[in-house]
Amino acid sequence: MAASPSDSSPAGSSVHDPSASESTAAHASSNDHASDTATPLGAVREPQRLHPLTLFVRLLTSLPALALILLPTFTNDDAQVWLPLFFGAVYGLIALPAIVLQYLRFSYRITPQQIVIQSGVLKRQNRSIPIERVQNVEIERQLLARLLGLAKVRVETAGSASTEASIEYVSVQQAQKIRTAVRAFQRADEDAQQNSRDAAPSEARATASNAAASSSPRTLFSMSLRHVLLAGAFRFSLFYLALIFSVLQFVDPETLTNWLLLSQDRIDVIVDAMYQSPIITALGTVVVAALLGWLSGILLTLNRYYGFTLWLDGGKLRKRHGLFTVTEGTIPLAKVQVLIVQTTPLMRLFGWHTLEVQTMGLNTDQQGQRVVAPFAQWDTIMRLADHVRPMEMPDTFERVSPLTIRRHFLRRLGVLLAVLAPAAYFWPRDWWAPYDVALPWWSLLVIPALGVAAYLHYHYHRFAIHHDGLYVRRGVLRHYLWMIPINRYQVAYATDSLLQRRLNLKTLFVDTAGASAFAYPDIVDVEADAADDAVDTLYDQFHTLYRAMVSEAKHPASSTPPFDLRQAAATVPRALPLPNPTDSSRA
Amino acid sequence: MTSSTSVPSSDVSSAPDVSRRALLPVSRLTALEADLQSVWRIKLCLLHTVVFLTALFFGITQWFSGANGAVILGVLGGLLLLMTLYIVFWPRWRYQAWGYDVHEDELVLEHGVITHVRSVVPLRRIQHLDVSQDLFEREFDLGRLVIHTAGTRSSDVVIPGLPLSTAEHIRDDVKQYILDDPLTEDAL
Repeated sequence: MAASPSDSSPAGSSVHDPSASESTAAHASSNDHASDTATPLGAVREPQRLHPLTLFVRLLTSLPALALILLPTFTNDDAQVWLPLFFGAVYGLIALPAIVLQYLRFSYRITPQQIVIQSGVLKRQNRSIPIERVQNVEIERQLLARLLGLAKVRVETAGSASTEASIEYVSVQQAQKIRTAVRAFQRADEDAQQNSRDAAPSEARATASNAAASSSPRTLFSMSLRHVLLAGAFRFSLFYLALIFSVLQFVDPETLTNWLLLSQDRIDVIVDAMYQSPIITALGTVVVAALLGWLSGILLTLNRYYGFTLWLDGGKLRKRHGLFTVTEGTIPLAKVQVLIVQTTPLMRLFGWHTLEVQTMGLNTDQQGQRVVAPFAQWDTIMRLADHVRPMEMPDTFERVSPLTIRRHFLRRLGVLLAVLAPAAYFWPRDWWAPYDVALPWWSLLVIPALGVAAYLHYHYHRFAIHHDGLYVRRGVLRHYLWMIPINRYQVAYATDSLLQRRLNLKTLFVDTAGASAFAYPDIVDVEADAADDAVDTLYDQFHTLYRAMVSEAKHPASSTPPFDLRQAAATVPRALPLPNPTDSSRA
Repeated sequence: MTSSTSVPSSDVSSAPDVSRRALLPVSRLTALEADLQSVWRIKLCLLHTVVFLTALFFGITQWFSGANGAVILGVLGGLLLLMTLYIVFWPRWRYQAWGYDVHEDELVLEHGVITHVRSVVPLRRIQHLDVSQDLFEREFDLGRLVIHTAGTRSSDVVIPGLPLSTAEHIRDDVKQYILDDPLTEDAL
């Protein structure tokens, strides 16, 4: 059932050839005509039903509930089987017609202006999503749907964090048709907007976008099975714990107890062995836990990234991956805010990295961050990053002030003591106290580790204000590298807390759209004057770039090529040399 | 506001002036209206009255159940003293720490007593602005300017304690700046 990467979506767009209809739209500037002539698009303009097999899928997914109701009937031979049977009958009378009615009353259609979805049995819902607000049309295929040749279409918009509308299920061909139609209408819309602007720049832009759109999709990155397994081997997961607990839920506690009582002899042997050699037991537990974590990491990665393929299709990155649930996603390059390279200590040892992009308004599954390459060597990562957003890595990075070690250490120590003091105070006398020292006090042994962590924090924390953006490296164990282009700066901050003021330090931060809540590129503990200068430089880059862009937009020189952001960025001054911590430029 | 229109295109190549635009010391920024301290004090008074009454009620119940009256009086007196000091000094410190300035292309803010925060908001990054006013602010004819950007941490930046007319003036100026912006780039 699984379509091979070559015969589906990237080829699909070239079969329907939306780029051809689009170029006629751009030049004849009659969009309605263009979308009428494109035959496959007409197919979704009339209200459409879901695929009939949807009924089957919904029925199948509702069966577990029925089984739960009827469970007592199957297990007991007693007389009280009538009640569950009655409930089962009621369930059948309500749920089955509901499934059919839902199916009958659900319809969708796609017009050049909007996607209209009508649904609801008791309460009619008529939802229309303007085409230009659609960010992403994602096709998802879960295992059951894949077996039946069905697909789920999810429409995401800029305004909301979650999926705006979901059409489940339609046939795979229909899903691709929907996506093609939405894209074609979107392009027609953009072209219409461009034509309404003044002639010279719009022509240049239209031809540029046509050229980009008509270039055939190109595979940028794909992962073989071996590669995916290798990626999994570097990933630990506690998923097995969840698995064990969820399996235990299905086991009757009484059966489990009986089984344990019956096999008490065997268990006693094990318990005795454990008491005799506690060190081996502890080691064994650690080894087993690590092995299980390792295995479930591999399985999870395999399930998620099997057959990972990334294409460049016009101005969009498209990817597809997954073993049981095949997910297809689109990342419009114009929406990319920040590039993020991540790595863990083990991955770093062998040169593996993960490339993510921070986007705004798309699916916020991962706090607005979307994986572009889950597992690749540095050179590949940089090559991909260059396709996503050309940036030139700076040769040298600045360090933050070494005083950050002290502050970092004090902060962690404060947290430790805040937890420790009450624990030690309330620790009962007769509880575990090796060598007559209460257990909480033993955790003071962690303090040297805090020192090491503080040093590593300083050691890996670097930043560079380059001519094309801000680069920040940070992380004690998991390392992050953020690359923020100048035209994605939002608001610049310099903050100093009480302790920082005593040490004459500041924290710098450049806000971006869609930044994650718990890993963001702030530059902690820069010497205060240097921090002030850095904010000035950052803002100056932003200001210079936009001033250039504004004057270009106001006086479009017909002889010069269309405005190039990269070129403009090059005219921004190279990073100002940050003043030495020793010489203070301010009195 | 709109003097960016006068920038000739030849400026692209000329060296940009690296002035300390963004980083004026707080004394040189525009202060908020002094009446804002009164607004903050009134709100703190209301809040602290509720807290103190709760403490008083708890103290009386303790007294009736036989606790030492002197201790209860001492604790309540100490609480009252602390609250009064807080109401007197905190709004003043907070007010003194606040400063803002509207420049040609950006908004500069500084605030925070314990942690100083200085932020530079480029005007072209502002998505929309609101002017709002609550019951107490209305008495003093003050308004607050709420600035929304797409940034995650700075999705809403608030400047409290502006004269209402100033707040509306800034809002209209910034709106005009955004409307006059010749760039059609989609910042997101």
